[in-house]
Amino acid sequence: MITREEIIKQTNEALKKEFEFTDEQLVPSAHLKEDLGLDSLDAVDMVVVLEQKFGVTLRQGYDWRSIATLNDLYNFIEKLAHTSNQ
Amino acid sequence: MEDSNTVVITGMGAISPYGVGVQTLWEGLSSAKNCMHTVAELEALPMVNTKVAATVPTVDYSFIPRKHRRGMSRMGLYAYCAAQEALRQAGYEEAPHNLGFFMGSTLNSIAVWMSLAHYIQDTHLELVKTSDFLQIMNHSPLASVCQALKINGPAMGGSEACATGLMNMGLGFLAIRSGLVEQALCGGTEEYHPLFSACFDIMQATSKNSNDCPAAACRPFDATRTGLVVAEGCGLIFMETKKKALERGAPILAEVLGFNANTDTENMAYPSAETLRQCMQGALKSSGVKAEEIDLLNAHATGTIAGDIAETQAAHAVFGPQLKINSLKGYIGHTMGASGSLESIACVKMLETQQRLPTHNLTQVDERCAPLQYDVKTDKTPLNIIMKNSFAIGGNNCSLLMRRHL
Repeated sequence: MITREEIIKQTNEALKKEFEFTDEQLVPSAHLKEDLGLDSLDAVDMVVVLEQKFGVTLRQGYDWRSIATLNDLYNFIEKLAHTSNQ
Repeated sequence: MEDSNTVVITGMGAISPYGVGVQTLWEGLSSAKNCMHTVAELEALPMVNTKVAATVPTVDYSFIPRKHRRGMSRMGLYAYCAAQEALRQAGYEEAPHNLGFFMGSTLNSIAVWMSLAHYIQDTHLELVKTSDFLQIMNHSPLASVCQALKINGPAMGGSEACATGLMNMGLGFLAIRSGLVEQALCGGTEEYHPLFSACFDIMQATSKNSNDCPAAACRPFDATRTGLVVAEGCGLIFMETKKKALERGAPILAEVLGFNANTDTENMAYPSAETLRQCMQGALKSSGVKAEEIDLLNAHATGTIAGDIAETQAAHAVFGPQLKINSLKGYIGHTMGASGSLESIACVKMLETQQRLPTHNLTQVDERCAPLQYDVKTDKTPLNIIMKNSFAIGGNNCSLLMRRHL
């Protein structure tokens, strides 16, 4: 089963590649919209790259409003990864 | 004419097979630097006869904010570079309020379209990103440059294939003359894809006998020419009323005297000399200039057999045998939708430096081309007014006149 550390590492790798973030920007408390500047179009592209990265379907049940920070995103992927492994 | 009705050029921006910038373009042209090269994808296609193209050298575009870059295919990136350069030369870091923007291309990004088509063929639509769609709208370069440089006036993306750049300059000129805007950025942008070469090859319009010597592949008016070389780039010109330029102390580079356009309804691909003649005649009338006042015709002349013959015959009918004529496509190939505006930038540089560029690779004029003054290199007479032609597949023709600013 994928660990939380691995989820954080892979998520950050995908976001850095897609959105050209630096390591310093990707702190768990970073707000996706206010701190990282991601808008609704970026959110769609973020789902695409994370689905590819983790091999899971995020867009069903995905609610942008419920995921405000990077930490929320890690939690969401962790929950989904663990659910799909059960 | 009143300064408020006189349209002048105060900024120019270019990205071409020579690289980024107007100066790079001018240095490449005036030193006849070669930018033609063979294309590996074409060499791998035995049924395609042409193997040569002229493409923009690799550029690092990371200076463009990602937010804006995500909506830009290569032609959008080119347009951003050219727009920024033109605005800066005109004295602006960001666009002035109500700047008009008139720019288009022949096609949108074939590369992005092809990647989207793969998603559908492979039924992997879950891989489609919003940025893919943002890049392949017909007006994607126009829209993304507006967002990036805060251009908030009317933005229109006229698209007339190879005449796009000059048509949009005409639109900008007319928009200023009509009072719609005081200032306009206008021209065309294009990105190369081997399919361009392949399609023109099928239509027997490409250069095919100089694949082993790319520098000699495009030979407008020459007896040995076999066709055009596809190229890419972007040329944008900042125009405004003379009144506005004087008020804000902007250096004037040249004056736009007039513009005309018409459509050949006889054939999509073979231009008729008579329609071209009418187009040029109309441009003279629009400018209030007599035929004998034209010091140079910068021809569309792509190096195709039929096109060069028709254009020279039309020019002969309008101007007579004393007309000095050149074409720039022997240097940089046919930059398609960008050609009219990129070559107009070169025309402004010719007016500024009083230098007529010779037609590169022209060694022996095709006797089927009308008798005109093709050897312009040694001409030392003043260069005051240039007519620029652009013609497109589809029969879309236009001519624009520029005058040296003294």
